[in-house]
Amino acid sequence: MASFTQSTARFTAGLSLLLLTGAFLVEYAPFADIQAIRMLFGARVLNFALCAAIPLILGALGGILCERSGIVNIGIEGMMLAGAFAAFVAKTATNHWALGPSLLLGTCATLLTGAAMGLLHALFCLRFGMHQLISGTALILLSMGISATFFDRDAVAVGKFAPWPVPLLSEWPVIGPLLFNKPPITYVALLAVAVVGFALAHTRWGLRTRAIGEHPRAADTAGVAVLRLRYLNTTLGGALAGLGGGYLVLEAVGQFQEGMTAGRGFIALAAVIFGNWHPVGALGASLLFGYAQAIQNELLLAQATILPRHFISMIPYLVTVIAVSGLVGRVRAPGSLGQSYLRETEV
Amino acid sequence: MFCYRLSTGTGCRAWIAAVATVLLLAGCALPAMPVVNMDEPAIAPSFRVGLVTDIGRINDRSFNQSAWEGVLAAAETLGLTEGEGFKFIETTDPKDYADNLGQFINNGYDVIVSVGYVLGDATIEASLENPDIHFIGVDQFQVQSLPNLAGLVFREDQAGFLAGMLAAGLSRTGTIAAVLGADLIPPVVAFGEGFALGARYVNPEIEVMATYHPGDLSIAFNDPEWGAATARQALDQKADVVFGGGGNTGNGAIQEVATDPGAGTSVFCIGVDTDQWYTVPAVRPCLVSSAMELKTAGVDELIVVGPELQELLAVKAAFDEGTLETGYDQ
Amino acid sequence: MAALQTALALLGAVLLGVVLMAVLGHNPWEAFTGLIAGSAGTARGLAATVRKTSPFVLTGLSVALAMKAGLFNIGTAGQFLMGSVGAVWVGIQFEGLPVWFHLPLAVAMGIGFGCAWGAIPGWLKVSTGAHEVITTIMLNHVATLFTGWTVFAGSTLSTTRPGPLWDSTAGPVSASTDVLASARIPWIFGPPLRIHWGIALALLAALLVWWLMERTRFGFELKTVGAKPLAARYAGMRSGWTTVLTMTWAGGLAGLAGAIETLGVNHKFAPEFGGGVGFEGITIALLGQGHPLGIVLASLLFAALDAGAPKMQFDSGVPSDIIQVIQTLILIFVAVPALATWLLDRMSRTQHVSAVAASLRI
Repeated sequence: MASFTQSTARFTAGLSLLLLTGAFLVEYAPFADIQAIRMLFGARVLNFALCAAIPLILGALGGILCERSGIVNIGIEGMMLAGAFAAFVAKTATNHWALGPSLLLGTCATLLTGAAMGLLHALFCLRFGMHQLISGTALILLSMGISATFFDRDAVAVGKFAPWPVPLLSEWPVIGPLLFNKPPITYVALLAVAVVGFALAHTRWGLRTRAIGEHPRAADTAGVAVLRLRYLNTTLGGALAGLGGGYLVLEAVGQFQEGMTAGRGFIALAAVIFGNWHPVGALGASLLFGYAQAIQNELLLAQATILPRHFISMIPYLVTVIAVSGLVGRVRAPGSLGQSYLRETEV
Repeated sequence: MFCYRLSTGTGCRAWIAAVATVLLLAGCALPAMPVVNMDEPAIAPSFRVGLVTDIGRINDRSFNQSAWEGVLAAAETLGLTEGEGFKFIETTDPKDYADNLGQFINNGYDVIVSVGYVLGDATIEASLENPDIHFIGVDQFQVQSLPNLAGLVFREDQAGFLAGMLAAGLSRTGTIAAVLGADLIPPVVAFGEGFALGARYVNPEIEVMATYHPGDLSIAFNDPEWGAATARQALDQKADVVFGGGGNTGNGAIQEVATDPGAGTSVFCIGVDTDQWYTVPAVRPCLVSSAMELKTAGVDELIVVGPELQELLAVKAAFDEGTLETGYDQ
Repeated sequence: MAALQTALALLGAVLLGVVLMAVLGHNPWEAFTGLIAGSAGTARGLAATVRKTSPFVLTGLSVALAMKAGLFNIGTAGQFLMGSVGAVWVGIQFEGLPVWFHLPLAVAMGIGFGCAWGAIPGWLKVSTGAHEVITTIMLNHVATLFTGWTVFAGSTLSTTRPGPLWDSTAGPVSASTDVLASARIPWIFGPPLRIHWGIALALLAALLVWWLMERTRFGFELKTVGAKPLAARYAGMRSGWTTVLTMTWAGGLAGLAGAIETLGVNHKFAPEFGGGVGFEGITIALLGQGHPLGIVLASLLFAALDAGAPKMQFDSGVPSDIIQVIQTLILIFVAVPALATWLLDRMSRTQHVSAVAASLRI
């Protein structure tokens, strides 16, 4: 397990280092005049990559919390969509408030709705013994159907999160504008990677979570309340995934649209597996996907290619397939993933 | 403001071209059509109008809504009530186009409006099978003309051209951008190409960054996040005018421009389809104009003349064949 | 009991649907009579139900087959698209071939394209360990782009050329040339009913999958690899080979669905014909509990709901989104036997309580 985790963590570190080095090159050295370098590492490319990665990171973290506890979550897309819809409803209902409180309420709504979706997933899987894939599918269909049915298409949300520059840090060259002059949910997402990564590895909660995911019976014997922890983690995961949807409404766009998650939940699911169920690995996977998308857009915007557009647009997907088969290789799912767990007394 | 032509010549489409931007009119110099007396609509009380949307909603702030508003306007002229006199079906699955049209056919509706170019085949088939029902195909090309089918086609390239001219005139950086929906939808491509050509018409040196959504049709027009991020990428690349042409994806793009600190002073945006000053108020800080299609007026007038259409076409055909004379001898 | 539970599940879903419609201010009675009349009340309605059944059956089988081997095939959408394009590619050329040769060739090409698109994730999984969930999701997007390109109309300005299958008489419309008459699946009932023999192919495929799973060595290996991978390895089964083969056939089934839709109904390929296929396959496989017969029944039910939706909307004004909610509720209730028994329990208890209350009142 350790070596697998290391390989994805190394991948993330390598990718981040490469991008940052590139960014510095563009800023300082004579390299700035080389168009290819600007195209690959210009501020706009890296900004786009980060923007595109944030919802994936949050969705993937949500997935990781569920799956490390042993519950499959293919419903990330549904949790994100529900979060996005809730954010929009709360924001439009409080348009007349000052912008700050209104956005805060939107954030709370998105977290709570995501958490409710997570709890529903846990209830379906744990209380009613539903097949975990079915429950995930049901979450997606349910939030698609309900958000489409109740979406008031005449409502307009006014305003969205503006960048919050971090004092001092945002003055740093290159890194400052790239990482420390962002709207709040971006900070939350990046912090959450660190927090969840640390907590999983170094806290009692993390140890127990890994235990119930790998070997619930042993954990139960050791006195861990398996089901209760699974409920808790799935609910927390739902809240994070919901925030990924809220990001789209409150920070990226400012409006809601039916099906606006547009498959991002599935890309996030891929990032969970790609990152070997580890937050840092998922961060790398999300960044890679966002970056590939940015490069693809850059090529299309510059019209610097004779290939049909469709083949350029395949880049993010092909890069992911190649990366997952070449760079990362075999990943290992948590031991009890997808199996329902019943104590002997309950059977 | 609105001009059209009817014709039945071989290889000729029964078409209506109507393009307007807020600023300018496309050069229409086509013969006006005979005026229908609208004071007393000679229409039976059982006259009914149905509308089938393309994938999407009746109030999508885009083409479905424009067409539906046309139905509403016509219904007011004709004194119809919703539910009995006119109603709509929203399509949620592309496999349902024919079935949705079939609902109105089976219930004996007199005029059926089908919205969106992808409904074209289903509409042609339905109008061949039901010669007594009048069909109006919004955004639908017809290779061969049918007596009971009118295609409402707009010159998006001209509207895009004018938007491009405007953008090139406004731009100080010499770089402008277009964020567009799927390149598999002809009107979108026409908008985009027209935009680039119009910009180069004003300033041959201008750099036009035009990009289409990379996803499939189900999301290409509904991905405002991608639109916003792409617009941001274009702004970072020194573009100072952004044309958003692609449903909610394009709306996402111009909303992003509207949040830029320089919105309205150094960066601008141009909307599409409807007058987005009203339909997307969030973009007001940067909006200078919208490349509009007057679908509402087109649908309205076509419904009102719908029952007369066959007769008019017959007369026109008779003129062409020489079997009918106006009596005016030169 | 199982039948009772299923009936109860359907009833529960319908009841909740009624509540939802009432909340939205619509007339549930009108909606449901419309739904039933639209899917089974008329010849056209029945025809629509039958027409919509075959792609559901095949994509459902595709997901179920992979699931039996412990693989999660989210890639049916891409395999469906590739199958459509494969079939159209053969179907629009070779004018003059006899039907008995041209049609099977086109269908086979559709299956072949689907097989290839399914084999890639299988092979990647076995050779590099790449998880099939990631690769199938990514390949869906690649297939969408690729098939869109094949019929892309191009544009006058850009350097992009039109796609190879594009119909040059269609003007700016991105669609393929019409499939030749010799490659079309013949009608059972022609227009306006438009029922074609594809449904027979789908049912045949269901039978074949059942036979494969229950009566062949490959089926046994497949199930063992899925259920007990270690035991399979100890027993000397080539689990890698089984994985690749399973994904190949899963892809082939979805590809056949695409071929049937293009050769039977659409008679050409256009980018909008692929939408929404993949996800329904997963739902139906789960609803049918992986059994071919269950999948056929689940497909019929979902097809009927889809077919009735337009009439329901026409009669009552209820938006068709509600159908998706009802389908989801059916899935939830069928999937949770515990929920159904709990509901049953609750109901019998209420009856008991009301009986007691009635007796007390005297």
